[in-house]
Amino acid sequence: MHELSVALEVCRMAEERLGRDALPRVVAVGVEVGDDAGIEAGNLEFCLAALLGAPPFRGAIPRVTRQSGDALRLAYLEVDDDRPHD
Amino acid sequence: MTVRTIEIREPVMAKNDALAADVRRRLQAAGVRTFNLISSPGAGKTALLERTLADLGDDMRIAVVTGDVQTQNDADRLARYTDRLVQAVVTNGACHLDARQVLTALDAIDLGDTDLLFIENVGNLVCPASWDLGEDATVVLFSVTEGEDKPVKYPKAFRRARYAVISKLDLLPHVPFSLERAIHFAQQVNPELQFLLTSSLQSEGLEEWYGFLRAQRHGRRAA
Repeated sequence: MHELSVALEVCRMAEERLGRDALPRVVAVGVEVGDDAGIEAGNLEFCLAALLGAPPFRGAIPRVTRQSGDALRLAYLEVDDDRPHD
Repeated sequence: MTVRTIEIREPVMAKNDALAADVRRRLQAAGVRTFNLISSPGAGKTALLERTLADLGDDMRIAVVTGDVQTQNDADRLARYTDRLVQAVVTNGACHLDARQVLTALDAIDLGDTDLLFIENVGNLVCPASWDLGEDATVVLFSVTEGEDKPVKYPKAFRRARYAVISKLDLLPHVPFSLERAIHFAQQVNPELQFLLTSSLQSEGLEEWYGFLRAQRHGRRAA
């Protein structure tokens, strides 16, 4: 169940990148998972959805994409600049 | 709605890897050789460490960090065989140790008075394989009661490891386990893997294990 640890780390990286106040404006989180990364993509997406659905996030969508190799990357964040802060 | 995409493309393990690099720097500066022991639950990590501490404790200065999901049972077992520090990390449900936990545990260990450090990871052949702890090498244990196809079922653990200990050799006559096939499967996923065959209960292969550990210490001091 280390997918939950990975999902928590993805959220921490988003906070480090944007600052906690900006997290409610995140609408999507893109993560790339290699086939040999030792991560079950569906499980990671489930964990991310649970975390991104709760404060300080406000229902951001996880987008987990598989690829060859062993990469495990936070690929991008989509941010709605019009969405007001909490 | 104005949506902006911020490209990041950073490894999720970057923070853990940076902490693992700190662990590695501290241990290498102190001349401490470090092994991360991984296996499925019940493969014999604690039993092997019990024997190692009992038999080598006067000869080598060995410290241990244990990781358990709950309880300090492993640390308590090991503490009977050494007055050196056995530092327990209770992960409270997490299925692996991470570098931050090891870095914290190092604060309680006198590294200047230590030759070898064992990190006894949580019993699990999946999750611990993804986390660098700052070790010099990973040792994967698997016992003859587990089935010879473990290496191909859990390839990441066997790819990460430099050494494999096949344990509970005393039970070999009683189980349908082919050492030849087990080694063949392991070499399929990691051709560089080096093997040690042990029985902690019957003392089989332990002299080879101890010789290996002594050579590691001497190699580090010569380096």
